[in-house]
Amino acid sequence: MPYINTLTRRDFIHRSLLGGAGLGLAALANVPPFAARALAEGSIGLNGKKLLFVFLRGGNDGLGSLLPVQDSAYSSAIRTNTLIAKDGATDYSATPGIADFPTSPGGTATFNYANAIRLGNGFAALHPSLKFLAPVYNAGDLALIHRVGYPKQSRSHFDSQNYWENGLPNNNVSKEGILYRTIIESGLASTSPLSAVSVQSALPVLLRGSGAALTNLTDPLRYDLLGVPNIISSGDIKATNALLNAQSTPFPDKKSRAFLSLQYDGLLKTLSIFSSINFTETGNTYVDDVNTDGGSNPYYLFPTSQAKNGGYAFNGNSTAKYVVDQSSSSTSFFAGLKAASLILNHTDAVIAGTEMGGFDTHDNQGGATGAHANLQQRIGWALYGLRKYFQIYGRLGSAPASGAKCAWSDVVVVLLTEFGRTTIENTSRGTDHAEAGVMFVAGGGVKGVGKNGRVTGVVGCHPGGTGAHLSDTNVPWISGPANQAGSVDGSMFGISDRYLKRSVDYRSVLGRVIRDHLGATQNQLNRIIPGYANEAQEHLLTGGTVTTPIESSGVNTPIIGEPDILV
Amino acid sequence: MSARRFSLLAAALLCVSSAQSQVVPPAAPSITNLTLNGSQRVLRWTPFPGAQSFKIFSTTDLRQSFTEDTSGAVSGFSWTGTNSSTARFFRLDTTPLDTNVLVTATVLNRLAYGPTPALLDRFKTNSIDLYIAEQLAPETVTETVQNQHTNIAFYESRFAPPTTPVSLTSGTTAGVATIDILRSWFTLRAVGADRQLLEVLSQFLDNHFVTQYTKAQTYFQIYYGDFNMQNRVATELEYRELTRWRNALMSPAAKFKDLLTISCESPTMIIYLDTVSSRGDGGRTPNENFSREIMELFSMGVDNGYDQTDITDMSHAWAGWTVDFVAPTDVFNPLATRLLATGGNTVSNVPGSWAFIFRTNYHGTSRSIFTNKFVPARFGAPWTTRTYANATPGSYQLTFPARTGTNAIQDSYDIIAHLADLPFTQEYMSVKLCRLLVHEDFAHGYDFTAPQLTPEADLVRQCMMAWETNMPRGQIRKVLDVIFKSDLFRSHTAAFAKVKTPLEYTVSAIRALRVSTNGTGLHGSWSSDTDGTSLATPLQRMGGMVLFDRAEPDGYPESGAGWISAGTLAERVRWTQSLLIASGQTGHNGSQSGTGNDASNSATSPVRLMFARLPLLADQQHAAKVADVFLGLLFPGEGAANLNLYRTAAINFLNTSDDGLSASSFSALTPSATAANAYDTRVRGMVAMLMTMQRFQEQ
Repeated sequence: MPYINTLTRRDFIHRSLLGGAGLGLAALANVPPFAARALAEGSIGLNGKKLLFVFLRGGNDGLGSLLPVQDSAYSSAIRTNTLIAKDGATDYSATPGIADFPTSPGGTATFNYANAIRLGNGFAALHPSLKFLAPVYNAGDLALIHRVGYPKQSRSHFDSQNYWENGLPNNNVSKEGILYRTIIESGLASTSPLSAVSVQSALPVLLRGSGAALTNLTDPLRYDLLGVPNIISSGDIKATNALLNAQSTPFPDKKSRAFLSLQYDGLLKTLSIFSSINFTETGNTYVDDVNTDGGSNPYYLFPTSQAKNGGYAFNGNSTAKYVVDQSSSSTSFFAGLKAASLILNHTDAVIAGTEMGGFDTHDNQGGATGAHANLQQRIGWALYGLRKYFQIYGRLGSAPASGAKCAWSDVVVVLLTEFGRTTIENTSRGTDHAEAGVMFVAGGGVKGVGKNGRVTGVVGCHPGGTGAHLSDTNVPWISGPANQAGSVDGSMFGISDRYLKRSVDYRSVLGRVIRDHLGATQNQLNRIIPGYANEAQEHLLTGGTVTTPIESSGVNTPIIGEPDILV
Repeated sequence: MSARRFSLLAAALLCVSSAQSQVVPPAAPSITNLTLNGSQRVLRWTPFPGAQSFKIFSTTDLRQSFTEDTSGAVSGFSWTGTNSSTARFFRLDTTPLDTNVLVTATVLNRLAYGPTPALLDRFKTNSIDLYIAEQLAPETVTETVQNQHTNIAFYESRFAPPTTPVSLTSGTTAGVATIDILRSWFTLRAVGADRQLLEVLSQFLDNHFVTQYTKAQTYFQIYYGDFNMQNRVATELEYRELTRWRNALMSPAAKFKDLLTISCESPTMIIYLDTVSSRGDGGRTPNENFSREIMELFSMGVDNGYDQTDITDMSHAWAGWTVDFVAPTDVFNPLATRLLATGGNTVSNVPGSWAFIFRTNYHGTSRSIFTNKFVPARFGAPWTTRTYANATPGSYQLTFPARTGTNAIQDSYDIIAHLADLPFTQEYMSVKLCRLLVHEDFAHGYDFTAPQLTPEADLVRQCMMAWETNMPRGQIRKVLDVIFKSDLFRSHTAAFAKVKTPLEYTVSAIRALRVSTNGTGLHGSWSSDTDGTSLATPLQRMGGMVLFDRAEPDGYPESGAGWISAGTLAERVRWTQSLLIASGQTGHNGSQSGTGNDASNSATSPVRLMFARLPLLADQQHAAKVADVFLGLLFPGEGAANLNLYRTAAINFLNTSDDGLSASSFSALTPSATAANAYDTRVRGMVAMLMTMQRFQEQ
């Protein structure tokens, strides 16, 4: 049976696209997906480049991740319980370029350093729970992009997540994903049984679309059918063949029916692929290649159990040596992240990812410790671990896994979140929904500090006005809202206005990655992210001032266009 | 064959009883393809919903009448006949399913958690409208579910009314219910309740006014060191709001305002969306979480009549709605004083109840919300012309009088009454009910003044009119009645247009094969059953559906795309296969591959069910008759012609040996309902195959 994962059998209408008619998507809608490869543009899927995504659901507090410590308004007056204190012994205005990395040798707790970690651009710092980002950052493999959002920013989780995932700000009708369109443009949906995979409870909008069934695994260990009758050697065969044969039965068109049919096809065609990958806990033997965090042992890269959580087992079961909080939500996140990594490394899938929840910290967000801090630990270790996994076990790695297909330079990791949180704390010692947030982009091909003359890996969080970091001409500063005194000094904390405004559009970040890393042509990108086709008003490519009708009437927002984040 | 004749072939005729007004009937099937293959002539046509039979008529002369062409045979959506030398004109005749059969299937799939054999039997001869009328008035239906499984009485003995203090210890008395007990009780009722619509709406309300058990359980960590105590307290709060909704639904005049009030007053909601810790006094910045979600998700709908200013303004009014520990007699008195100082663990050893308490000193000052806002023109009259909370027609600004002390609690009750009355809320709630009961493609934001409304917009408007014009406004049964009477609900547009949620899928699977084999309706007599508890893990695996514990405030999705992916389908298929494997056999308990139990204490015996319907031995050995029993139970509302290929697959399965390769005559097997018997296994495998097909995912 040929691997045709697209809808060819039934006369199917692109409902979601019709629902979002008038979006400039007609060109794509009219191309039957199975014919899309005939467009023969670009090199998505042919150049070996891959994408790993993690959606941070709930709205990560960007101002609590990438801290503007030198901002005039960075003060406990507005963030009484959630502010990360500066280290009195550290000069945050200094510009060494690289980040500090407070390791914790010997018996010292892994996260004993409780102050803002200097990032070396004279302005920004990391939450102390993100300390494992420092080695990634200092290798030039990490871009930290602050003030990321989109026009007419929604503060609703579900609207905003939808916009981030469908690539169409302010269109909450379309449930067609930006990464789905990337796969459709690649043509892979009709030639490969497996092109994009998520490992989570449901297929995210990022990968949804009406013309092809991209794959979601809920539990890779259970991705297998049983047999009735129950004969171990052949029972599955009778049941599975019966399922496969009857699946070709046509039925009159119904809402959901073509969609179900596609997903069934996807299931039956991908069962065998994943059975060859060892997703088991005992198969998780991936460890660091150096002794981690000043200790005397290399740590596991995917802390999927307590025993594999940092230095816990190596230090007499010391909970102080965890690299991430020990909880079921943490271990299941890393199990999903591990599965996504293994899939990228062992299959032809171009895109894989997962999600992490818990970022909606309205209540008791915490400061250097607490709920938000725990989540930052997971972000920090995830990116540290991913880099090491692909550097060691990937293609070109120091100890490549058998059949490894993906090197660290092949992969870009992007972390998405629907919005940042209010600059001012609420009375529940938490923060509410706001606007611009932080994106993390990592990979061997990311242009961070020290690469191609870059003096910082930070975008959108550095000295403004007269104190601008003049040596970094690639990331022009755009002033933030007025400060307490009413003047514009680049403050990122509005006082009367609690919402950090964007200076980078998330589509410019994803667009750059999809084109310059995955290999889309600009024409393909214009279809994947329709905003690109309207540069005169959207300014996604080269930046400019966004005004009505893209913005609300009377709102003018300068944005920088695509940040320079890839080598 | 000439091109001219080929085009004539496409002019198929269709006999459909009646087209629904407004609702576009499905397109007539058309012959799309004719091939000549040696001595064979093959016609193919497009499927038609609910086709009961297809017949091919032909003639050699268009001036003559068509006669049924018996020189060939129909299989699925094709006809194969002899390729005689004479050129012929062909016509396709379709006999559609009786529309009552179609509506019965839709009703049992929407008002209930799927058909049971007994319900299908009952409505072969009775009008399904009888069932609709009964279900709309659950207080008139005698409930027998408590007889069906002894676990129900066991669980109910653990629940206690909120005026009973939560038990300080585990045990067997009232007040010790855990969240697992609540889930099991809830799913057992879904499986067996006579008041099915009450169960469906209970789940709808609990999911609409979503709360998260673990958030409350975590909240009580500051008061109780004992996890079991936290569990009991948090469970009681989930049970309390659920019980209040269920009681409200038993009242003929239940209004949306009542249901919204219950949610707002629910301590687990106050904890879930953080109002519990919010302060609006002294210029403080209140927590906006509840203020946003009550408008976005619980009443008006996202981007529908409010903005950030309203969220911020309203958040001051909710500040002060907190949760505290009071004497059990004060559990519904928000002005009660706390039982004692509740710092640290001091409540651990004190009998009492957790309740919604209004703290005047946390309350903020809101002067108005929806300031200078008017009902948009798209709603039209009567919504744009009537008055709301002020004298100006169409204005829905809500202004609060100056209130002090405990009187200020009224600010929020004003908000509840106001939200429940707004056209935005009427629209959004109607949309949500239509998504639940008709199909998923409804959205708010229609222009109700457009000259030609879509059937969906028209139905939403009819729902709103029922809400608006029956006094008192907002009666749920009036809105439901409109939906159940609508053409859209009763047409092919709704039939099988939805994908089952994990709860609907698992419960409907058990119900589809469930008869009381001795007719007593008592525990142990059922051909298909669950202990309730065993559904929790499958629901979690099929996409993270953990009842009473949704993390995100939008509730579990009503859309198929929110549930169906390769991974979740694998879990659905596995669970169904495991359910059909006999208890005690590998794959039912314990794993055949992968990890963990699948069906566990959910079990079924399709042969026992089938024996009750095919008492004659000869019929029991007749593969086609056996297949027909299950096709009728699993796919009611679909015509025989459309099930033809499933039927062929089922018969083939029955006549194939367990290795899946060699032929093995079903009629040679001795009928038996004993586990591991060849006959029993063969039937189980066939039923599993039918139930793992995509059509069983639909409702």
